Amino acid sequence: MLDRNIAAEVLQRAVATGGDFAEIFMEDRLNHNLSLRSGRLQSVRTGRVHGAGIRVLDGLGAIYVYTNDTSREGLMDCAAQAAAAVKGKAGCKPVAFSHWDCGRPEEIRLQPADVKAALKAEKLRAADAAARSVSPEIVQVNGEYTDSTQDVLICNTEGLFVQDRRVRTRLSVGAVASDGRENQVGSENPGALMGFELFDERVDPEAYAAQAAQTAVTMLHAESCPAGVFPVVIDNGFGGVIFHEACGHSLEATSVAYGLSEFAGKLGQQIAAPCVTAVDDGTIPGEWGSLHIDDEGMPTTKLVLIRDGILVNYMIDKLGGRRMNMAPTGSGRRESYAWAPTSRMRNTYIAAGQDDENEMIATMGTGLYAKRMGGGSVNPATGEFNFAVNEGYWVEDGKIVRPVRGASLIGKGGEVLMKIDRVGRNMQMAQGMCGSASGSIPVNVGQPMIRVSSLTVGGK
Amino acid sequence: MDGFIKKLLGAAKLAGIETAEVCYMDSDSFGVSAKDGEINEYEVSATRSLGLRGLVNGKMGYASTEAFDDAAIDMMVNAVLESAALNESEEQDEIFAGEETYPAVETPAADPEQATAEEKIAFVLEMEKAALQVDERIRQSQGASVQTSRGTLRIVNSMGLDLRREQPLGGAAFAFVGLLGQEGSSVVTGYEVKAAHRFSDLDAKALGEAAAEETLSKLNGSPVRPGVYRVIFRNDAMQSLLATFSGIFSAENAQQKLSLLEGREGETIASEAVTLMDDPLLPGGFASTPFDAEGSAARRKAVIEDGKLVTLLHNRKTAKKQGTATTGNAARQGVGGPIRVAPTNFFFKPGEKDLATLINEMDDGLLLTELGGLHAGANPISGDFSLIAKGYLIANGQRVRPVEQITVAGNFYQLLKGIRAVGSDLEFRGQGIGSPSVDVGSMNVSGAEQ
Repeated sequence: MLDRNIAAEVLQRAVATGGDFAEIFMEDRLNHNLSLRSGRLQSVRTGRVHGAGIRVLDGLGAIYVYTNDTSREGLMDCAAQAAAAVKGKAGCKPVAFSHWDCGRPEEIRLQPADVKAALKAEKLRAADAAARSVSPEIVQVNGEYTDSTQDVLICNTEGLFVQDRRVRTRLSVGAVASDGRENQVGSENPGALMGFELFDERVDPEAYAAQAAQTAVTMLHAESCPAGVFPVVIDNGFGGVIFHEACGHSLEATSVAYGLSEFAGKLGQQIAAPCVTAVDDGTIPGEWGSLHIDDEGMPTTKLVLIRDGILVNYMIDKLGGRRMNMAPTGSGRRESYAWAPTSRMRNTYIAAGQDDENEMIATMGTGLYAKRMGGGSVNPATGEFNFAVNEGYWVEDGKIVRPVRGASLIGKGGEVLMKIDRVGRNMQMAQGMCGSASGSIPVNVGQPMIRVSSLTVGGK
Repeated sequence: MDGFIKKLLGAAKLAGIETAEVCYMDSDSFGVSAKDGEINEYEVSATRSLGLRGLVNGKMGYASTEAFDDAAIDMMVNAVLESAALNESEEQDEIFAGEETYPAVETPAADPEQATAEEKIAFVLEMEKAALQVDERIRQSQGASVQTSRGTLRIVNSMGLDLRREQPLGGAAFAFVGLLGQEGSSVVTGYEVKAAHRFSDLDAKALGEAAAEETLSKLNGSPVRPGVYRVIFRNDAMQSLLATFSGIFSAENAQQKLSLLEGREGETIASEAVTLMDDPLLPGGFASTPFDAEGSAARRKAVIEDGKLVTLLHNRKTAKKQGTATTGNAARQGVGGPIRVAPTNFFFKPGEKDLATLINEMDDGLLLTELGGLHAGANPISGDFSLIAKGYLIANGQRVRPVEQITVAGNFYQLLKGIRAVGSDLEFRGQGIGSPSVDVGSMNVSGAEQ
């Protein structure tokens, strides 16, 4: 992608007048997107993302300059602009590049760029038909197919020069159920760090589509969720969004390094109930949030965040590590060349525990069983989080009595982690896009079924 | 870029693409951020992107690129051919030759002199310092930043259209300062954000002090017990809600059963207090434009007038399907996406009463200033929302205390009908969608017992 001599010259220029570290992140990405609505392909899009970002670190200060012009002149101009921001000091001396191979844990059997769009469209048609066959109340199905082949080159003044290819494929199905007066929706969004073989090995479009449609129909006939403070059982899979929001973001160096996290300074302390062990793992082959190397060129890792309730690790990028005097954890990520990297999650989950799923509900009394979760958000400085329940059931005296709609869950991370009183045995993950300081990136969330002894439930 | 566009349209024609259109955007931006009295982030960018859409046998194909080499031309032409061959859209797509004339839009005057990086650095340091000096309960800065950008949008097609404008008209400058406040065990965050066309119109000291005031006012908040409360959404909270549900006014969504407003033109869908405007000609608006993404002339219109739905927002395709004229609301997702529908400067027409009067007339209830989790807890297809909220408890027309850790739930379609009054304090905050504060009547609120 980039000649080594030019790369060396650009880095030299970037630190010519100051800075103790410089890096080039160059990217060339091909995206395909197919959209099906009303049973018809509405659009097929191909897009090429291309550009480079040059970062110069000067102690705890970061300068980032990016452009689409990746010619020698374009990159030299970026380097000069970055250098201008640290003028007047002596810069570091770049180390000669040593080649480094990041390895390829998985093989892409069917490169999406080589698969005809017509074959991709078949997956959407299958999903559409399966969703509509669930009920005549399904009035619309939104199908989106996306794949992305991202080639990156990362090199820096510490001698790193590494290239990587990330291939991701995803199917999204949204079903709308309506009785003419009200609409309700259900959606499923499976994806992986894989090529088109995703559909042979992991994802049956019809099964996911039928599930999305079933959720929409169930919610159309559901009553509003009661409001108040109740025990809540959260199912596995996307239920893991509770940990992602209530705790995960607050363990990223992005907030911890500045003391802007409720968990800053708490390494070695108990921050969760003893039944909670949580992991952020970028190494799982083929998972949506997995990487070979992070976006700073460091090998990805498996990181235990919380062990038996005790905080043992933060997720740290290079700059955050400088501020915290701690080593980076292979957690530096960014949406594209247009974002400076920062610490982010990969595949983050609560590990499987010992508790019986049926007992969890049978002994909860009156409360909410949140079967399918939507997204959420958090304010790491205060720990205040919120997330949506896409499919919920009301529980009375330990028995599921009816579906409920429109529920949301809120709380403060530190309080909620201590209130987890059951952790089930069957851990599953699900796919999401996580938006934060360095853009929108693919992550997995996951957990077994868990119970929180009390949580504020929003509803009517 | 002229050369590349010419070459691309030439190659498209040779390949059998009957009519083709290029959408091109470029942008230069500068941003700087301070934390704890030091500059911690400094960002400069120059970006360009180009999309191609083209008709083959009456069907539209799409492609886009950020690389401008010969490979990009081949890739895009082939992608458009493949894309068009698969397109099954029932409606006839078109590429428009353009209007005879376009309306004039008053463009804000630029700064006589461009501010230097040093001036912007001094600005963020001053803004942060001003905020931290207000009160010792302001414990820490979450960052003070300023960002300026200027860009160009250009649409060129083989029917002879060639339109160009600044994006946004007049340029944009944003300032943000976020703070952490603490008193005893109460920890809160607060911020102030301000947008202007000219950097010189931003006031560092005033912004820093406003952020500090907002933060301090939230200290020692607590929930309220679950129940039905009278609620006023402050202008910033109402803006975020309107932005989340703006898609229900799209004719495309209505035609595809993704909005419940299909065929409801002429019906009363909101209270009499509600007039909802879409005004692309608004002087100084951040979404102001003389033309839309298809090259149709932009025009001002009421979407809801005194509670009655006057029109949905249309592009040429949705208008044709419904036998009406486009409202000039065609929009692309990025440069390479299909033509969809989107509002421009979109806002509730302000009423006579200021926020203090609205609060006074409500007597008892909640003033909600912040809504969270809108991307997940609000569903534009059903209209349902159940959102984390913050604000103040109001009793006897006075602010009693800050409120946090509550949710507010409702349905946007029903909310429109229950609006009692629209305030006079219309704000846009650098976006196209804006709102005054709105008294929405009664809402369901959840929280822990105190």
